[in-house]
Amino acid sequence: MKPPIKRKRSFQRRKVCVFCADSAMKIDYKDIKTLSHFITERGKILPRRISGNCAKHQRDLTTAIKRARNIALLPFSIVSP
Amino acid sequence: MLRRYETIFITHPELSEEDHTELEKKLRSTITAMEGDAIKLEDWGSRKLGYEIGRNSRGRYFLLDYLAGSDLVREIERNLRLNDQVLKFQTVKVTDRVSPETDKTLKMEAPGEKGVKGIERPSTLDEKMNPEVEQPESEEGERK
Repeated sequence: MKPPIKRKRSFQRRKVCVFCADSAMKIDYKDIKTLSHFITERGKILPRRISGNCAKHQRDLTTAIKRARNIALLPFSIVSP
Repeated sequence: MLRRYETIFITHPELSEEDHTELEKKLRSTITAMEGDAIKLEDWGSRKLGYEIGRNSRGRYFLLDYLAGSDLVREIERNLRLNDQVLKFQTVKVTDRVSPETDKTLKMEAPGEKGVKGIERPSTLDEKMNPEVEQPESEEGERK
């Protein structure tokens, strides 16, 4: 017998890359306000399947976050959030 | 051939005024001596660091934006390394091959830019971000 199918939320919002949707938004390693939307509270980079970014922008974002970490604008990890 | 670089460097949070001017003078003279071109030097003030650097939890950030050849970058980084007030620095290449014309326009807009522009810009993301993104579990479930 199959396990009962769990109730999902009624509709799924199609995720679009926020950077593609709004071309005015730039990825900049100095702009930690924007970058901080794409890290978890532990300081990890949010994966693409959750943020919905396209491959190109996710790549740029990853570089930007790593640069920001290197110059201590962002933490590498937060031990106790 | 010139490229556009920006160097962020972090100094001690309580950097004395003379050390500050001395460092700034040193950087500017290095840039002019080696035929680079300083576009701007921003002072972001004292900020909390993402992690401790040498037991400092705060640091004073500076952003130096300039045109340079590779030897000038090396010289600037050497100066920063020798200065014990500087905790950390990072140089990023902004654009490759800057032509003299774009150089002029850069200089024109330079005086207007002041302070913490890059960092305090209000983000438009707050409204746009999907509030559901914080729930990865349900996503996983749907894949199977």
